[in-house]
Amino acid sequence: MSVVARTPERTTLVRAVCVREWREAIGNKLLVGMTLLPPVVILGTGVLAVAAAAINPPSERDIQALYSAAPAVRGLDPVDAVQGFIATYFLILFMLIPTVVPLTMAIYSVIGEKSMRTLEPLLATPVGVGDLLFAKSLASTVPSVIVTWTAYAFYLTSVVLLGSRAAVNAVTAPRWVLAILVMVPLLTLLSVNLGILISTRVNDVRVAQQIGGLVVVPVVAIGIAQVTGRVVLDNGAFLQMTTVLIVLDLAVFWLAKIAFQRENILVRWR
Amino acid sequence: MGIALRTEKLTKRFDRLVAVDGIDLEVREGEVFGFLGPNGAGKTTTLRLVCALIAPTSGTAEVAGYRLGVDDAKIRAAVGILTEQPGLYERQSAWENLVFYATLYGLPTAVAAKQAERYLRLMGLWERRQEPTATFSRGMKQKMAIARAALHEPRILFLDEPTTGLDPDAAKTVRDFIVALRGEGRTVFLCTHNLDEADRLCDRIAFFRHKVIRIDSPDELRAELYGRATEIRLLPAPRPEDLARVRAVAGVREARFENGSIIVASTDPLRTNPLLVRALVEGGAEIAYVTERRARLEDVYLRIVEEVVEGGEAPLGPPR
Repeated sequence: MSVVARTPERTTLVRAVCVREWREAIGNKLLVGMTLLPPVVILGTGVLAVAAAAINPPSERDIQALYSAAPAVRGLDPVDAVQGFIATYFLILFMLIPTVVPLTMAIYSVIGEKSMRTLEPLLATPVGVGDLLFAKSLASTVPSVIVTWTAYAFYLTSVVLLGSRAAVNAVTAPRWVLAILVMVPLLTLLSVNLGILISTRVNDVRVAQQIGGLVVVPVVAIGIAQVTGRVVLDNGAFLQMTTVLIVLDLAVFWLAKIAFQRENILVRWR
Repeated sequence: MGIALRTEKLTKRFDRLVAVDGIDLEVREGEVFGFLGPNGAGKTTTLRLVCALIAPTSGTAEVAGYRLGVDDAKIRAAVGILTEQPGLYERQSAWENLVFYATLYGLPTAVAAKQAERYLRLMGLWERRQEPTATFSRGMKQKMAIARAALHEPRILFLDEPTTGLDPDAAKTVRDFIVALRGEGRTVFLCTHNLDEADRLCDRIAFFRHKVIRIDSPDELRAELYGRATEIRLLPAPRPEDLARVRAVAGVREARFENGSIIVASTDPLRTNPLLVRALVEGGAEIAYVTERRARLEDVYLRIVEEVVEGGEAPLGPPR
């Protein structure tokens, strides 16, 4: 049997890297815990909050406070308004999952390789570093997107079963469904490549997480502004945000690719 | 015999530091080539250069028939490198580690499995193939790393300190493996601090300190530096005047004290030794015994490196 080494096909490389990273991640209980905890907490809290709002009618004072904080729900039945508000509020938290979960995975993916000293033998193979970076990005992106979508599907089902019409309308609004379907992968990619970029500069997972955690700030700000009616995310705004995310994704991937060069990794990374 | 590796004025600078200073090197196909130098001499940087892991500042190289800077991916496919650290995925099994790397070297699935099995058996790790490598000893990890470097059957295998930290059994396995590779006609580029190992394994040796100081076979290095050495033990101990008498004898190239003896290097000991004995006896010395002493590669190495450090450059002529 002749053995001829060569650069592997991109799909083969991506599959091999993803399978290896996933095996590695599954074997790391801390990483599994940190990956699953945010979606489980957000999903559980969201379902409980919607159910609690259905069982306990809000007081007049709560209703007035809600109407003044969120003008968008004025005119709705008080119970519907509260449930709709809560259901939408938790949708914003779902947008945090793709910023938090993949960040942890991406950071472990690079800092783990640095601490295990596995990067040099990896870079000694005939694979291109761009392809390797792409494969690593996908290895963190795919499970995060699946986790977010799965959590959203559970949330959707729970709200349909427990919530009012307003709550159901809120979580099935085309804008939010599109946000989950389109913006979640884009946010995930942004978070992953940001995680990789940060990991090239620091060796401590906790420090990298603290720096990377800043990515949630604009997401939370936009989400709160939307829920409280201060910013209306109409189709135009949605398109603009998607475009900004695509541009940011490309820019951060490009920066990560610059940092992820053989010579930089071997000579400058510490 | 063809040329496996050729460098021309290969240079690597890191800001103001010149790690590799215009080296000209030729490694022949099928030879075990030793690359010796002190810590910080630039050996690892040289390895990274010729394995197309980092780019040279200037100069060129041809590795396994491919041009550095032009066919870098082909170079990486054609060579294998054992890095200073084993660098294994420790949560994964030995089998998973090797199959993963075989895939990165573009081997089809069936070939990857075959090669992983071959090298796990060769390294005596087949029985533990399903265990995470975190449970392996230092020696086992090193054997795994060597298996990983060799499993795509590279034309040139670069080994950076392959037996460092290994117990005698594991070190012997590695040395036997290198000998077997030479038997198969494979080229091995061996970076080592273990001079005894280099002496036993290498066809030729390069002494290196940012630049190539000297390249030769171990025998030629020994012969040229010291000739054939003679050890003269005096009672109770050699005196400075004894050393002076020895140095005055015709044919003596060098003489020094060492552990209560005088070590004499001469071009023709058969002619020189009787003269030495006579000179010492005439000077009142009492000779306990006279023995032939073969210079060790360590002596050669230490002297060359010492002279380079003191003199600032190679004392023994231009590299060959």
